Amino acid sequence: MDINWQTSYIDPENLIAISRGDDNRMIKYLRQFQELIPERIERLQECLVAEDRKMVRQTLHQMSPQLEFFGVPEVIPPIRRLEYEYETIPLEELKSLVKKILVQLDGACEEVKMILNKFE
Amino acid sequence: MSSNKIRSLIIDDDPFIRDLLQDKLHQYLPEVEVLGSATSGSQGLAMINEFQPDLIFLDVEMADMTGFEMLAKLEDIRFQTIFITSYSHYAIKAIRFNALDYLVKPIDLGELKESIKRYKANIQQNKRPDNVQQALINFNTKKVSDQTLILQTQEGELRLILKNIIRVEGERNYSYIHLANNKKKLTTKTLGDMEELLGEKGFFRCHKSHLVNFSYIKAYPNSTTIMLSDDTELPIARRKKDEFKSWYERWNAV
Repeated sequence: MDINWQTSYIDPENLIAISRGDDNRMIKYLRQFQELIPERIERLQECLVAEDRKMVRQTLHQMSPQLEFFGVPEVIPPIRRLEYEYETIPLEELKSLVKKILVQLDGACEEVKMILNKFE
Repeated sequence: MSSNKIRSLIIDDDPFIRDLLQDKLHQYLPEVEVLGSATSGSQGLAMINEFQPDLIFLDVEMADMTGFEMLAKLEDIRFQTIFITSYSHYAIKAIRFNALDYLVKPIDLGELKESIKRYKANIQQNKRPDNVQQALINFNTKKVSDQTLILQTQEGELRLILKNIIRVEGERNYSYIHLANNKKKLTTKTLGDMEELLGEKGFFRCHKSHLVNFSYIKAYPNSTTIMLSDDTELPIARRKKDEFKSWYERWNAV
């Protein structure tokens, strides 16, 4: 299926490459994104409320390969910074970085949903 | 199924990585047969015992145990291991120190192909998968100076116990490792690479061309010179004076 990729949060290059024209494979990765990322966004929000630095790091660590694959470039530098500095970074700065990441993730989730709708 | 296939397992608690790796192997490296995927370390152990694979792709950090903890539970390791880790994981230093093969998530295809090429070369050379065993020994070696550094060189693998390394001398794109038995070994690693491997293990880069082992410092007569027990005199770079002093005092107190 020819898709008009008008995305600004995600870059579909890796997705297109792995799919090699197989729509089912592409849908599999898109659905997986839809299953895993919102759940982790929720956990990240809970970590912020609980001010649980270790869980912030762990949740970001879990989601970063998928975000990198989906070409969400804005979130990679702050995630790497938080992975390294999660114990020492001032709490307010940590919260501010996570909130910026969350904005990007919401945008990425919307785009994934929009693309999946085109298949259905 | 051809017997020439590389029988492999994927052990990773991230479903995305399991799927991605399996698809890449299926599409680009059909000689690698994926026998199954384990979602945890404990499931990985069961599948290793069941399938007796040639190769495993193993996540460094899983929810129930680390990849190294999983390997330590095995009585015998007869397969090769390619670790899967993230770019910023703390284990990456240990992986490099032990010359273990690894892939960075989300798995670059070129790197995956290179890893499989190295796997095949190891098999052709009948190389036993004992780097992992050595890594496990290193993890259990409390005294840092008794740990063994593994370096891949053009002449083969070089294993050096840290307490036998006096110093490392950089020479553009390679380094000479000076040993306590008066021999010196050449490695294609730069002094920067060597500093990364040894920097937290009692070695200090006192000068752009020199990395020194604390254990061999005989005298520190002034802020610009170090005397070593083999009577070598090494300079301390002017900009490293203060850093060297605090490093020296810290290690002296250990």
